[in-house]
Amino acid sequence: MTNDSVKLDILKLDAWFGDKQALKGISLRIKPKTVTAVIGPSGCGKSTFIRCINRMHELTPGNKVAGTILLDGADIYNDMDSMDVRRKVGMVFQKPNPFPNMSIADNVVAGLKLIDAADKKELEEMAKENLKAVGLWKEVENDLKKSGASLSGGQQQRLCIARALAMRPEIILMDEPTSALDPASTAKIEELVKALKTETTVIIITHNVQQAARISDMTAFFYLGELIEYDETRSIFESPKSPLTERYITGRFG
Amino acid sequence: MRMISRKNTDRLIAWLSLAITIIAIIPLLWIIGCVFANGASAINLEFLTDTPAPYGESGGGVANAILGTLVINTMASLFGIPIGVLTGMYLSEYASSGKFSSVIRASVESFSGVPSIIFGIFAFTLIVTTVQHYTALAASFALGLMMVPIVAKATEESMRVVSDDMREAAIALGIPKWARTVKIVLGVARGGVITGSLLAFARISGETAPLLFTSLFSFYWPTGIDQPMATLQVLIYNFALSGYPDRVLQAWGASLLLVILVVAINVVVKFATRPKYKEGV
Repeated sequence: MTNDSVKLDILKLDAWFGDKQALKGISLRIKPKTVTAVIGPSGCGKSTFIRCINRMHELTPGNKVAGTILLDGADIYNDMDSMDVRRKVGMVFQKPNPFPNMSIADNVVAGLKLIDAADKKELEEMAKENLKAVGLWKEVENDLKKSGASLSGGQQQRLCIARALAMRPEIILMDEPTSALDPASTAKIEELVKALKTETTVIIITHNVQQAARISDMTAFFYLGELIEYDETRSIFESPKSPLTERYITGRFG
Repeated sequence: MRMISRKNTDRLIAWLSLAITIIAIIPLLWIIGCVFANGASAINLEFLTDTPAPYGESGGGVANAILGTLVINTMASLFGIPIGVLTGMYLSEYASSGKFSSVIRASVESFSGVPSIIFGIFAFTLIVTTVQHYTALAASFALGLMMVPIVAKATEESMRVVSDDMREAAIALGIPKWARTVKIVLGVARGGVITGSLLAFARISGETAPLLFTSLFSFYWPTGIDQPMATLQVLIYNFALSGYPDRVLQAWGASLLLVILVVAINVVVKFATRPKYKEGV
């Protein structure tokens, strides 16, 4: 059942850390070329949720996943190899993590270079194109050979987004990508996220409900491993259906 | 009152540790000073470019031994460093906490404590008695084995301290494990691996016992890696005990060359461990 208006179809997703259940029966559909914000208090399962989408949750021994996730109709747990899933579903982490042993340009194309050896010219082009896409090109044009670790935190995070974009992912997951950054860098990343949805689908975890309101089309509110409410961001913020959601977004708990 | 006594204790400990450090450094400086004082006058162009003179004649040099040490050490490194790096890589990235890996880890630990003469006898039994003559290859084999645990431990430790953020970043890009391990984790850890390898090289540069059983000595230029070969270490051993004043002087000179080699390696280590890219914008 491939449906053009569904990029990611999540059905009754459960996840465990050993014996502890972290996600309970999550079902939601994500439309292509949208930004979905995932909000909720610490420990509510937000990170676990997105780590199930690129199959990183299962990497820790003892962790388990049940349920179904369909990416363009393909079951990512049964029909796809985990490596292929991760190439189609990119991820940006909370703490910028460029490879310090590689230059800025090499960081951008690290995935391409280490997976299928492309030719040098092509890689240089890809590096340039993706650095432009994250608005970093002008800033690093003359320093492409410097270490990725030489950049400021905000620049490093944009470099990591460029690195994920270079794989031409169907979906980009972001785990609180601005929580370690200053306000100016945060604003740049927010603009970037909004721009990204012309090409790809973004799922972003944020602790900042204003940020969710600013950048997302859809918002999912998680609480204690359950999906409490999932709706258009405007509806969530203007007329939340659950009192829990209302209390969270108005800052009364969390 | 209490305050004063605490400060005094502080001062006492500081002075005491300084005094003991100086006492510990004295023999080291003494040795180096002694080698310089006695060996410097032996070094001239002939000493660096010629083979030893026949007994009873003056002059001659140690060039064949310099070359021999470099050849044997290089061959040992070509053999010992890759095995050491792969072992360290296995222990850091692939070994689980199971029994097999703890056996390997314990072996590497005890391997590094084995006296060097045992490596010499091992190579002697395995290679020299088989081919029926002394050979530089056996020396490289013995020294290469000695390098393995040093390089393996350095590699394991420097790969272990690489942050998991790096591994996760690579996993999230869909980079396969071998490439993550070799290009990312080993890449980030390369400074430590290079340091370990150079220290292993320095360590085997001072070994004499394994060489007495394997490459032995030669008064001539090397004729092949499967032949006996002169080394600075064995030359020092032979010449120092020869009783001829000229030779004893040359042994001092050769000692000085070895000290310079080891110091040079340590300087290279300092350079090699500097970050590849300039930090800061």
